[in-house]
Amino acid sequence: MTATDADIKALLEKPYNPLIQKAVEEGMIPLGYACSLVPEALLSTGKLFPVRMRAPGGTGTEMADLYLSSVICSYARSLLEFTLNDRYDFLRGYIFTTGCDHLRRLHDNLDYLKKQDFSYILDIPHKAGDAAIEWTIEEMNRLASALEKQFDTDMSRESIKQAVEKTNALNSALSAIGTMRKLKNPPFTGTQYHRLIMAARVSPAEYMMPIIEKYQKTAEESEGISGYRARLMITGSGLDDPEYTGVIESQGALVVADRYCTGSFPGLEPVGTSGDIFEALARRSLEVNRCPRMMEGFNSRANYIAEIAEEYRADGVIIESIKFCDTWGVESSALTDKLRAKGIPVLRLEREYRQSGEGQLRTRVQAFIESMGK
Amino acid sequence: MGKPSLKDTAITSGYKMLNLMEMAKMSIKHGPFDMIRDIRRYPWLLDFAKVNRLVTKLSIGRRGNYRRAVGMMLNGVVKEMINYIEGIFHRQDKLVLHEDMVPPEILRAMGLSPWMPELLGIILPMIVPDSMEEYIDAAENEGVPPDLCSLPKAVIGITVKDRLPQAKAVITSNLPCDGGMSSYIYVEKKIKAPIFRLDIPHNFKDERAEIYFAGELKRMISWLEDHTPGRIDWDRLKEICEERNRMSEYELQLWEMISARPAPLAAEAVYISHLWYFNVCSGLKSSTQVFRRLVKLAEDNLKNGIAAVPDEKYRALLWNPPTMHVIDLFAVAEERYGVTCIMDSMSFNRLPFIDTSSRESMLQGIGRNIMNGPMARHTRGPMENYFDDIFHIIKRFDIDMLWMAGHIGCKNTQALNNIMREKCRTAGVPVLIIDYDLSDTRITSRQGILSQVDHFMENVMKAKRII
Repeated sequence: MTATDADIKALLEKPYNPLIQKAVEEGMIPLGYACSLVPEALLSTGKLFPVRMRAPGGTGTEMADLYLSSVICSYARSLLEFTLNDRYDFLRGYIFTTGCDHLRRLHDNLDYLKKQDFSYILDIPHKAGDAAIEWTIEEMNRLASALEKQFDTDMSRESIKQAVEKTNALNSALSAIGTMRKLKNPPFTGTQYHRLIMAARVSPAEYMMPIIEKYQKTAEESEGISGYRARLMITGSGLDDPEYTGVIESQGALVVADRYCTGSFPGLEPVGTSGDIFEALARRSLEVNRCPRMMEGFNSRANYIAEIAEEYRADGVIIESIKFCDTWGVESSALTDKLRAKGIPVLRLEREYRQSGEGQLRTRVQAFIESMGK
Repeated sequence: MGKPSLKDTAITSGYKMLNLMEMAKMSIKHGPFDMIRDIRRYPWLLDFAKVNRLVTKLSIGRRGNYRRAVGMMLNGVVKEMINYIEGIFHRQDKLVLHEDMVPPEILRAMGLSPWMPELLGIILPMIVPDSMEEYIDAAENEGVPPDLCSLPKAVIGITVKDRLPQAKAVITSNLPCDGGMSSYIYVEKKIKAPIFRLDIPHNFKDERAEIYFAGELKRMISWLEDHTPGRIDWDRLKEICEERNRMSEYELQLWEMISARPAPLAAEAVYISHLWYFNVCSGLKSSTQVFRRLVKLAEDNLKNGIAAVPDEKYRALLWNPPTMHVIDLFAVAEERYGVTCIMDSMSFNRLPFIDTSSRESMLQGIGRNIMNGPMARHTRGPMENYFDDIFHIIKRFDIDMLWMAGHIGCKNTQALNNIMREKCRTAGVPVLIIDYDLSDTRITSRQGILSQVDHFMENVMKAKRII
């Protein structure tokens, strides 16, 4: 464990963590979001700061099952349950996207059951291209205007650019640490890194930067981890519980790379600041984000995973998807074939949002590692 | 309701004969050896050949013009389905596979032969209820999650079992749901034809969305011109749109008449007509002809004071796609309880006409129809679309109860069921949510579906069975 790992873990135990609490006391405004297509930088201007919505330690979704039904992904259901249980009352608004059917319907149900003063849905196209970029630029502009009006915050291009730079700096620092995972003996586990990334997604950037810097320093001074049986990459639908990574690593694996929307690839790639800032944000949502909700680009998404696996010397890839997720459900199946055809060992897992079936997961991972001859 | 009269029996037999003749003509035209070869290549042809079973199912209990309307409408379906099948036999060089929310009007105006893979998953379970199950299993064996909607699963299964025709190109879209959208990864992989994907915005009610989608349609046209022998003929497109407008006129007349209590026509005569003729073959004179005849039959009934369902006790709104493998749900409900299906979510739309004054206005009009079409505004759009329509229809068509075909694979609508229950309770509208799967009889059997109807009618409505 690095010097600050326990502090980081503490930030993930409940939605209203000590750093958010401190920020709110200082007059800052937390805004919730649940999809990587939301431009975090737009929620980071002036006193605003973004909080990735999670449901840590959730134990059941009884009310949410009633409204969303039991065939909606358990992430969406957990968020509804937490919101209905007042666990997100500290948020001053939330921004959703048309990312997937489940999150759209979560937004509908939230509006019906517990409407926030600021409840917004960004309409992001399902493909890239000039027309889609133009559409998304307009969407970003509309969101910026709505935020400006609601929170009386400066949404000038200059202010947004500063917010982009702040977000880029945070992501670059996280990315620099993540690069250490290429080493034969990385100084931290995949679980520890996952915790760091998640802490950065649920805390104000201003307060996270010193923690990240300290983390980097400690990591640079640490001895590398050795004795692991296999290096693995995890890919799939949004995974915001580092303890899931922990169970995988408990079987002797070391998770050295990840590609899911709450992880490092492609989430930490910077937003360009040289041209029009709205266009840069639009391009990031449409061209950098590699969610299978985008209709086109399956081959490019598969190749991207294979390239990262090679770069980080992963022995195998775990594809995880939350049960009932249609886009990842279909993508995983085709992706498994594609990666195996490239000679990459693949383990495909279906999971619930909440940690469950730990014993089964251990057995599957153990068998996977053995099947790779490790 | 007793035995049908000789005249009623003759009506049904006549249409069955016509259907058999259409199929015989197709076989003769194709040639017996080629036909046998293609039946082996596309075994679902044998299921389609049993289409008269559907005529029987939907004729039971129906009398006079209502019975005639069902037979006539299904005969039109058979003719156009045969035209589709002949696309495989004789026009493969122009064949374009298109997802069910892609407008076939444009493909026809380009001289191409549209072919909708979803059509098999829609029409065949109506004829042979378990016909999609081998394809659903094939998709699941490929690793596709079992919880995916069974319609895209069927398309994936048909694709992986190599039972789709080879096409020059594939056109798909982000409608109607994530499952449908994602399934084309398999079609793309298997068919190995170039693919174009249409993107439809979520908030489609403003002009910005219409312009964006019209732009998508233009890009589709130019892409098709690059990848197929098709060339857009704007005059032809205008004719098609005008023909569709004429059909819409007739449909509005029909709706006006079925607003009356008791309704002169109902159920499949209204909703399969819309489902088929507006989505599969709009813009054809033969389709308009079917609607013209439906209007005539309804007019006659209205004039003579004849109700489609003589004992019309309850007027129902059907929400979601109909129960495909128990397609005679309302034929049974009419006989047992006098429940008459007046309108459904798949038929109802608010913007039926296409402005044909310019190329731009035609594309915007076609786009508007798609965006406002069934399974677009309700599944991809915000929930306001959904509930506004429900309560508008209830008022406009004097509806007594809402029947929700609660297809387990339709996550979009499952996630709104409880809000719907609460809103309907507040409005005093009784709701039946039928738990079932669209194309898989193993999830809920026919008996299971009919039992849910019985429980609702007997326990909630306190209705007595007529027969």
